[in-house]
Amino acid sequence: MTSWKGRSDDMRLSQRFGLLFTLPLTLCALVILAGCGSAKNVTRIEPGVVTDLSGRWNDTDSRMVAETMVKQALGSPWLDEYRQQAKRKPVVIVGTIRNRSHEHIDVNTFVNDLSRELTNSGMVTFVAGRGEREEIRDERLEQATHSLEETQKAPGKEIGADFMLKGDISTIQDEADGTKAVFYQVDLEMIDLGNNVKSWFGQKKLKKVIERKRTLF
Amino acid sequence: MDPTIYRAPAPERGTRLVRQALLVALLLGSVLGSFGCGSGLKRYAAVDRHLSAGDPQAAAGVIREAEGEYGSKSQVLYDMDLGMMLHLAGDYAASNQHLERAETRIEDLYTKRITAEVVAFLVNDTTLPFDGAPFEQVWVNVVKALNYALLGEWDEALVEARRIDHRLNVLTDQREADEYREDPFARYLSGILYESAGELNDAFIAYRKAYEAYRTAQPWLRTDVPDALKVDLLRITDALALSQEHEWYQREFPETTWRRRSEIKDLAQVIVISYNGRAPRTEDQFLDLPIDLDALKLVLLTKGATTGANTDERRVVESVLYGLSGRVVRVALPKLVPQKTQVSHSLVSLSGPAGLIQTRTQLTANLTATAKKALDDRFASLAVKAVARAASKFALAEGAARGTQKAGRDNEAALAAFFVGFLFKSLAIATEEADKRSWRTLPDEIHIARLWLPPGEYTLQVRPVGVTGGETARTSTRALTLRRGETRIIIERVLS
Repeated sequence: MTSWKGRSDDMRLSQRFGLLFTLPLTLCALVILAGCGSAKNVTRIEPGVVTDLSGRWNDTDSRMVAETMVKQALGSPWLDEYRQQAKRKPVVIVGTIRNRSHEHIDVNTFVNDLSRELTNSGMVTFVAGRGEREEIRDERLEQATHSLEETQKAPGKEIGADFMLKGDISTIQDEADGTKAVFYQVDLEMIDLGNNVKSWFGQKKLKKVIERKRTLF
Repeated sequence: MDPTIYRAPAPERGTRLVRQALLVALLLGSVLGSFGCGSGLKRYAAVDRHLSAGDPQAAAGVIREAEGEYGSKSQVLYDMDLGMMLHLAGDYAASNQHLERAETRIEDLYTKRITAEVVAFLVNDTTLPFDGAPFEQVWVNVVKALNYALLGEWDEALVEARRIDHRLNVLTDQREADEYREDPFARYLSGILYESAGELNDAFIAYRKAYEAYRTAQPWLRTDVPDALKVDLLRITDALALSQEHEWYQREFPETTWRRRSEIKDLAQVIVISYNGRAPRTEDQFLDLPIDLDALKLVLLTKGATTGANTDERRVVESVLYGLSGRVVRVALPKLVPQKTQVSHSLVSLSGPAGLIQTRTQLTANLTATAKKALDDRFASLAVKAVARAASKFALAEGAARGTQKAGRDNEAALAAFFVGFLFKSLAIATEEADKRSWRTLPDEIHIARLWLPPGEYTLQVRPVGVTGGETARTSTRALTLRRGETRIIIERVLS
């Protein structure tokens, strides 16, 4: 028969063992649980606020470059020369803006920023580009079949562009020890469709330095 | 008294000891089960079955269903595996979404968490987030580039070619000359993409780098400079009027026949890319180091009784036995298990307006050799870390046992110290595991054939030929309509 003292010893031993047994398990569980938590917080902000999160090309870059390019384009002599000569606003079509960078840049966003600023300036008229034209022509064909005659839009009344806006976005990257320097260069040119003369060159350069820490707690 | 040697327990304590040992065994079993290596084996076996049946979509489904099994630490691997399956299934846009996410996560994982490193040092490297070996990171861009080219988005494919160039340039700056820092296939593919998009100057640079990389990597890559690359170098240097370089390449490849760019500009280009076999898998290689003669006998006895693969059951048994002994230290290191393809090459035939045109594919990428090189490059540091971890675990267990013994009175302290030592040492052995994660949905080898043909309707046949000369897999047949100046990429997957 086990004595009272013996049972007490056993209990204490059991308690100590239990503590020693559960302590590492608790620590392990804490370590595991510490990595499980995640929090999400959404804040609505003005579209104009600069949000550099990853260091990649973003909406701020697109808007900044478009604004600079528009200022350059509207401040250059080609516009006044054409208006004096032709007695009207030049008609511009957007050609290919090629992405020659290291990033998958949505060139359309940039082109739209640019077209909007130039059109809103009231000094240039933009006409639909190649991709959009097909859709509009299809719609006219549809109208010819299905719309009231007085509301139909006839073919052959499109305005031919005087200039084509072309260009490219390129990057040069350099990286060492977690620090990356990205140099963006956006080149645009306005080509006279009548004689292939390059009437205007615009250029905007951006440089970003992205620093990443190698270790964190 | 040595805390690791438990002497003659009282009968009731002995019974409790057995119960506690069983409890610990169960605990170890659950700890081992939580690593989920068994489920990984089943997952890849299911993927292989679907690929053998020619159903990559179902293989992608297997990966999708297993997302939870990958766990939060292996999200990059999940995206790599699923991205590759979707690429094979022809869902290129979805494949790129996953691979882009993998790339972003890899960038985020550049910053190492000290807390995570400490946990990995105390447990094992599988607790660290997986960010892939350098070659796997390059291959994320390789597969993405192919996806964009297959979608006909050449500008985007070239973005990936530039990223490949940047990644390899950074590796060249960071790594030693004898380490993996150039990828001949990635360079060669970049050249093909640049040339197909009309960027001849960039194409020449990429072809030249590919040529140099094939020659430099030959000792470990065991892949010759592909004949197609020799043709490309001669054609591109001629087109760019680089007379000095052209003459040099002519002297290098005197037997090579080639056509000028002007001769092929009205033709269509067909590029057959055959993924053959399976990328190697990684296994644990356990080194059980006995500290005294009794422990040596136990290790020999255990190895004799539990022969065969590193199963979870075997690891539980060994963990309990070695834990009871208290005199065995386990070190786990990764061991590469090749799954070599049986395909020597494929015969490619196109019948159409130009009659019957035949050629054969040629080895351009050896991913098993590349994975082996990647492991060799980091093996020394892995071994040092594993030994240091094993020694630390053993010291911690010894310290805990001795501390427990000092904390109590003699008769009960010995029992408690025994349990603490047993528990810690068993856990140390049970948790010792190599990081076996790798991009296993990649192939073993990649073979390429490149042809220029007049535009028109063709029937394309690709027949894999085994190393012994026989047919190793079914011949694939498809109809092609080729337009002037177009580049058409055809992907073949041969699992055998």
